[in-house]
Amino acid sequence: MAIQFKKNRIVFHEVVGVEEAESLLEAMQGNSSSKVDLAACTHLHTASLQVLMAGRPAIVSWPRDAELRAWIETALGARS
Amino acid sequence: MNPLLEQFLSESREFSQGIGEKLMQLEQAPADQGLIQELFRLVHTLKGNSGLFTFPEMTRVLHAGEDLLGMVREGRIAYSRDLADRLLEAVDFVGLLCADIEATERIDASRVEDSVRLAESLRGLMPAESFKPTVADTRRMAATANIETPSAVAPATSLFHDLPEATRAHALSQSQAGDLLHWLCYTPMSDCFFQGDDPLFLARQTPGLLWGKVRPHEPLPALADLDTYRCVLTFDLLTAAPREELMEHFRYVPDQVTMVEVDPRWLAPERAEHASAVNPPGSSANQKPSELRPRPLPVPGSDALPAMPIALSHEEPAALEKILSAQQHILMLDGEPESRAGRLQAVALVLANLAQGAGDPAAAREVKAALAECLSTGRNDLLLLWIEASQEHLLQAYAARAHSLDSQPAPANTISPPGTDVPEPNPAKMEDGIKFGRRSEDALTKPKSLKVDQAKIDRLMNLIGELMVEKNALPFLAQRAEDQYGVRELSREIKGQYASINRIVDEMQDAIMQVRMLAVSVVFQRFPRLVRDLSRKLGKDVQLVLEGEQTEADKNIIESLADPLIHIVRNSLDHGLETPAVRRACGKRETGTLSIRAAQEADRVVIEIRDDGKGIDPAVIKRKAYEKGLIDEAALERIDDREAVNLIFAAGLSTAEVVSDLSGRGVGMDVVRSAVEKINGTVVVDSQVGKGTTLRISLPLSMAVTQVMVIQTDGQLFGVPMDNVVETVRVPRSAVHSIKQSLTTVLRGRIVPLKALNTILGIPANPLRNPDDELAVLLVQAGGQVLGLLVDGFKETIGLIQKPLAGFLSGLSAYSGSALMGDGSVLMILNVREIV
Repeated sequence: MAIQFKKNRIVFHEVVGVEEAESLLEAMQGNSSSKVDLAACTHLHTASLQVLMAGRPAIVSWPRDAELRAWIETALGARS
Repeated sequence: MNPLLEQFLSESREFSQGIGEKLMQLEQAPADQGLIQELFRLVHTLKGNSGLFTFPEMTRVLHAGEDLLGMVREGRIAYSRDLADRLLEAVDFVGLLCADIEATERIDASRVEDSVRLAESLRGLMPAESFKPTVADTRRMAATANIETPSAVAPATSLFHDLPEATRAHALSQSQAGDLLHWLCYTPMSDCFFQGDDPLFLARQTPGLLWGKVRPHEPLPALADLDTYRCVLTFDLLTAAPREELMEHFRYVPDQVTMVEVDPRWLAPERAEHASAVNPPGSSANQKPSELRPRPLPVPGSDALPAMPIALSHEEPAALEKILSAQQHILMLDGEPESRAGRLQAVALVLANLAQGAGDPAAAREVKAALAECLSTGRNDLLLLWIEASQEHLLQAYAARAHSLDSQPAPANTISPPGTDVPEPNPAKMEDGIKFGRRSEDALTKPKSLKVDQAKIDRLMNLIGELMVEKNALPFLAQRAEDQYGVRELSREIKGQYASINRIVDEMQDAIMQVRMLAVSVVFQRFPRLVRDLSRKLGKDVQLVLEGEQTEADKNIIESLADPLIHIVRNSLDHGLETPAVRRACGKRETGTLSIRAAQEADRVVIEIRDDGKGIDPAVIKRKAYEKGLIDEAALERIDDREAVNLIFAAGLSTAEVVSDLSGRGVGMDVVRSAVEKINGTVVVDSQVGKGTTLRISLPLSMAVTQVMVIQTDGQLFGVPMDNVVETVRVPRSAVHSIKQSLTTVLRGRIVPLKALNTILGIPANPLRNPDDELAVLLVQAGGQVLGLLVDGFKETIGLIQKPLAGFLSGLSAYSGSALMGDGSVLMILNVREIV
């Protein structure tokens, strides 16, 4: 599983595909205070990115991949 | 080029042609529902085929065509001349793409623009409400709207506004260094996730990417209402890659991307400082936003060709003079009267074209009138007069035209910096102006392969056979000229002619053979599946190795090879190869190997089927053959292991202990042998117990022409196939010995049994001897045996087309067929296998 759903934290791993978007959305709908850990993420599908953009969760750690980080930072612009 | 692509190309050409034809027919009968149905099917299939490959340009256009035809089919729009024109245009475009693919195996990125424009023009014919249903169209309309309004600069504003200082400075320095930067706005379709797109991935992979940003192009709904699979994002990208590369990168989604060349001034620090949300870069006092209109990816007709006709250069007037004087010369020729009309017409055509080229249609009409006059009066003066009168005028017209072209600026293909006039996309122009510089009439498609009815080839084959017979008559004619009429000279000349005709006929025959050649892969290709299925059924582990699939042979040979080969492969799998457990016990690899090799050896094709199974035990075969009464006791002692193994080809022999549903009913191998022999092939088996079995099938390349040696006995001529002939020798009568009833001789230390052909054929005469008291012996071999046939004399070897004996004669097993000789006589071909 590319996304691990913990109690209060959603952890992304490596490449997050399109399939994960649905469960990500459900998880975020269920617990809006969940924080997101992107450190190990190298790519996430646009659909998941869109969910993040809509939900605007707190990001506890940004991707180590600098390029992806730049993308996500600008996408979630207002917060960062 | 891989075979699939090749087939695709040849089919595409066929379909394109079919579509063209159907459209033509529709012009005559616009209401014919059947035709429209057929047309739709053609376009649909072609589109589907193109989707198998990565030719989005082709698919895009065909998809639009298909949608359009779908509506015509449903009666939602009526067929019109305009519709046919655009569809034909689309078909031409597909032809063009096919030519591209054939040359380079890919479609150049430069075609993207054309394909988008063409799809656009096709969709333009659809009623407006039909745009709604597909999200793709909605999206595209939005994109178009973007281009049309000055607000298109707005994204640029935010882009440059958001640009981090470091990136901006870097981009600016790159831009000032002369690198052309592009700003891209990529808005994926909202249903793109369903098509497997990942826009973020595509954006991240953009070549030369300097900076990028994702933003929703419509307010994102609250989390609770979010539709995960509806994409509402837009990507802004700043890249240093050249336009072509970007087009290549976004070739699947060109309609979702807009591209603007970035002016360095936009990136200048002071502008960036000034820039705010309401004051976009480049839109300060002296520049109106409209001048900064982004260039959409599809560049509309800006580089369209100037209107016909085109003058080439200053040399033209000189050339014109030459042309005119040549016409005068032709008109003044006396020539044969019968070709006069043709000459006049040709001259008039040239003149009329010249006048047309000079932009003077009235003059062209004059020429036509003059021609009619000349034709009816039989005098050429009128045309001559016309030339004299118009020469000056034409020269001037062309000179003026050449001058005006020279002073005209080059077609606006260069990059215009913002601030100068960028041609506006004009929808009306887009719709009429799509030409590809190649229309169907000059887009000569040259299909590389032809589909020909087999009957036509067979007819050619028969004709060449007859030609050969006629050709063979020439030497007889030469002989007659010499013997009967005593004209040696003529005889020699006929022989000379014969030699050259012979060469041509041989070549022709060879060419026709080539047409009929087929690669053995046709038969081989079914084996992987067969072996896989059978080995699973039998619980065996088998690796199949195919070699020499490209080896070619006559179609009939290849086709008749299929069944025997399947028999052999089945036998190998069933009897030959062992189960993994047995193999392990024998110390062999668990996976058995079955290899099928084809190769050409001289004028024969050899196919070798080898397995590394348990082999055939000659002792078992011998015993079985004896039990079944196939061999007698004497043979049981006499035959060696090799011969014994070959007994598997005898009818009614099965070595399998159990009759399975695969093989073992004793009909296998003798069927193989007879099938192979029917096409003049031979099959031998070699086997080593425990090591494996090898079957070698040797087949002629072609069965149409048989090389035959003509022999004479008791004044009659017979043919013996060269395949059977070993050698011809003269044996002194003293060297022939009688052992009991049979005659033998010793040839190079080997005892050769002799038989008189006369005796075999029941002719009551003794073999003739030559003055040296020698007998003519034709050494033949059949079924592994060598035999000397006593004949009266040897004649030449000829190639002929053998005809099977029909009717009552078909029962004569001593002959395999008959053939017509050059002198009209019938030559009987001996069936050596039967008579030895």
